[in-house]
Amino acid sequence: MAAVAPVVSLHEQHPDDLWNKICIAFPVIANEPLMQEYLEEQVLNVLELICQHQLSTFIEDYVVDKIQHITMQKIVPDFWSKFCKRENEMQGFESFRDAVYSVYNSLISFCPVFERLEKLRNISGIHRVVNGENTLLGTFKVIIRSSLLSQLPLNHPKITEDFYRISFKVFCNSDNYVGDQDDSPEDMVHCSGCEQEIGQCQCQSIILVFHEVNQKLIELDLLERLAGEVITSLIHLRIENHVEESCKGSFDTSHISTLEKWLDNVVMGWLRRIFNGSSENVKSEKKTEEAIKKFKQKLAHFLYETYTRTRIEQLFNIIIEYPDSQPAVEDLRICLQKTDLRPYLTQKLQRALETRLLHPGVNTPDILTAYVAAIRALRQLDSSGVLLETVTQPVRQYLRWRDDTVRCVVSSLTEEGPSELADELVRGEALQLDEGVPSDEDTENWEAWNPDPVDADPSKTSKSRRTSDIISMLVNVYGSKELFVNEYRTLLADRLLSQFSYNTEKEIRYLELLKLRFGESQLHYCEVMLKDVYDSKRINAHLDSDPNFNLDKQQFPATAMILSAQFWPPFKEETLELPSFVKEHLQTYTKAFETLKGNRTLCWKPHLGSVTLEIELKDRKLNLTVSPIHATIIWHFQSKNQWTVEELSQIMHVPSTVLRRKIAFWQSQGLLREISTDTFLLVEENPSRSKCPVPAEMVCEDEESESAMASAHDQREEELQVFWSYIVGMLTNLDSMPLERIHQMLKMFASQGPTAVECSLQELRHFLDRKVREHKLLFSGGFYRLPKP
Amino acid sequence: MKVTIKSWTGVATWRWVANDDNCGICRMAFDGCCPDCKLPGDDCPLVWGQCSHCFHIHCIMKWLNSQQVNHQCPMCRQDWKFKE
Repeated sequence: MAAVAPVVSLHEQHPDDLWNKICIAFPVIANEPLMQEYLEEQVLNVLELICQHQLSTFIEDYVVDKIQHITMQKIVPDFWSKFCKRENEMQGFESFRDAVYSVYNSLISFCPVFERLEKLRNISGIHRVVNGENTLLGTFKVIIRSSLLSQLPLNHPKITEDFYRISFKVFCNSDNYVGDQDDSPEDMVHCSGCEQEIGQCQCQSIILVFHEVNQKLIELDLLERLAGEVITSLIHLRIENHVEESCKGSFDTSHISTLEKWLDNVVMGWLRRIFNGSSENVKSEKKTEEAIKKFKQKLAHFLYETYTRTRIEQLFNIIIEYPDSQPAVEDLRICLQKTDLRPYLTQKLQRALETRLLHPGVNTPDILTAYVAAIRALRQLDSSGVLLETVTQPVRQYLRWRDDTVRCVVSSLTEEGPSELADELVRGEALQLDEGVPSDEDTENWEAWNPDPVDADPSKTSKSRRTSDIISMLVNVYGSKELFVNEYRTLLADRLLSQFSYNTEKEIRYLELLKLRFGESQLHYCEVMLKDVYDSKRINAHLDSDPNFNLDKQQFPATAMILSAQFWPPFKEETLELPSFVKEHLQTYTKAFETLKGNRTLCWKPHLGSVTLEIELKDRKLNLTVSPIHATIIWHFQSKNQWTVEELSQIMHVPSTVLRRKIAFWQSQGLLREISTDTFLLVEENPSRSKCPVPAEMVCEDEESESAMASAHDQREEELQVFWSYIVGMLTNLDSMPLERIHQMLKMFASQGPTAVECSLQELRHFLDRKVREHKLLFSGGFYRLPKP
Repeated sequence: MKVTIKSWTGVATWRWVANDDNCGICRMAFDGCCPDCKLPGDDCPLVWGQCSHCFHIHCIMKWLNSQQVNHQCPMCRQDWKFKE
């Protein structure tokens, strides 16, 4: 190619002659190095000559082509050959350095050629754009870049990574070094930057080389293309580490601003040093400044994302620690707006809840506590409530499945001492339930309106989500107030009948608070219950003070809790035959009551109540407060010191299973001893016990704190029993019916009126199946029928 | 051993001594209260007529007030007179 002379008509000179001159001016053409000894004047002459012959474009193209050829054939393979093998990081570092140096040197070596070509352009007055670049140097850079990238070997990032990793290590080290001086460097044998022995620390030289290489790459316009990715990934790694370290386990401080500052100072410091060549050279071009800005935006986003991810991983713990972890939640809220991690959060948190909360090993109160914390934290995180709704969906579902949820909620609502729910109750707001008709959105503040997030459930109004408070959310777990009110009623009844204190101020206060939420009508029954207690106190005082009733002449004082049966939850029916003198006493009391309130009488619940006893034994005296059944048992032992369960059962009309349980209490007190199966003996003297002082008065809680009320299950049973008479009637008239038909008929006839009892198909099936098992029904071919008498 | 009862707190439910469970007018339990009342017992007492039928006082008063001419027991249509 070099031998072919341009075919141009020439005036004075021989073509060969001209070609030789051109070759002297541009020795590249002949594959010779550039000679500097030719005088500039001579070169200028040649250039003018080219210009005269209108060959400048051709020559330029030719020379550039030649250089491109050389680049492709020699420079680039040379460059990449350094990338092929490395034994350790340090070697990689050196290879990269050498490669950059060599390619830079070749650029330098071509520089005079370009200068001449530029001159040629000036002389001939040509302006053209080659490869998208105005200047020839630019063109050359494009050539180098393109040919480098066209021959990219597979493993090139490794070496680049080595280079930058080592440099970064040195940097971080020097940064940390400024941070904590007290970490005495004498102890260290190796420099933590370059991992060389302290004496031979190469940090300084590494930094020097690093800056030089960067500068060269910048000059070649290669930094971004060659090392951009590696730098980014290294910085990402660094950010990840930093974020992880800085927010490990501490939720009580906000990290966003410190992280931003860190990014600004430390990370951007590195970037500036890379892009500006060295740290001293503060003055930077506009272009690099812009590149850094862009880089910073990307990195800031990455920082937020990393931080958000870290926080989301910890979100469960954050929620548990709420409100101490408020700053962390606030951070997360800000970050969520900047990143697109909502779905990730939902998924992660749901999984965390499921693995850590929603399994049989967790107590219901704990789940509730976590749920309340979650409600609060997530409401702060997302005021629209959509996040809360989606994330806690499984929790609600799970709680619905647990039997003791309602009880736990109600008891924690009215618990003494600091309880979040009780506080929440005191705040007092009307209860919001889902069932309400969707109200119109606020029209006053329409300018501040925001659409619901995309994951919102469209069937619910955003207002209902925004306003519903914690108690409403808990009640909504079941979706009905009645269940909660009933449970509260049972709980209240239990409390009143276990404490037997006539001081109801506290209960009245809670009742008033609950009324604010659940409405007057729902809690009407409870109000009557409390009034019963209050009235009982008055009646007791009245009967006691009136000498006509002869109550003060009795052996012991008796008081009564007089209840309005209709308003209390059904009592557990138990029988108990009290000692005759007690019965007589209660009879006197009833008489007194009848006199006081004409036309009214009392039905005693002998098994309920509390008795204060003084038991005198040979060696000690006991003061105890026990239940009537306990008192009766020990009273019987007074007349005879050995009883069998069978005998006691007959005399007391109490089933022997119950008796055994109750006797256990006296056994634990050391008063009774089982001498043979089901035969108990009174222990008058207890040598081991008599030595240690016995507390004068012991108020003994019933060992098993049993509910005096029938359980919700039993109550329901009773309600269903109402249906039974209907069903029998139906089947008598219509012979046999399928389940659905029975259900419909019941709906029509039995479920009307104020005391309507709802019964689902499922429940009815269970009920009927049980009747079948009890042989009260026959079931065949999908039809129920009554058995033939 | 000597067991002395220092005090006894019993639990009892009160009820009206009547020949029926429910009020013939409002069909609510006697031991409860009439539909207009909140509290049972003293606040919503029963009254007996000479015909031996009894009702919530509020129920029978309402009934009697609604009768223009002669006041009769809603159960047996005899003239209503309060039992002394």
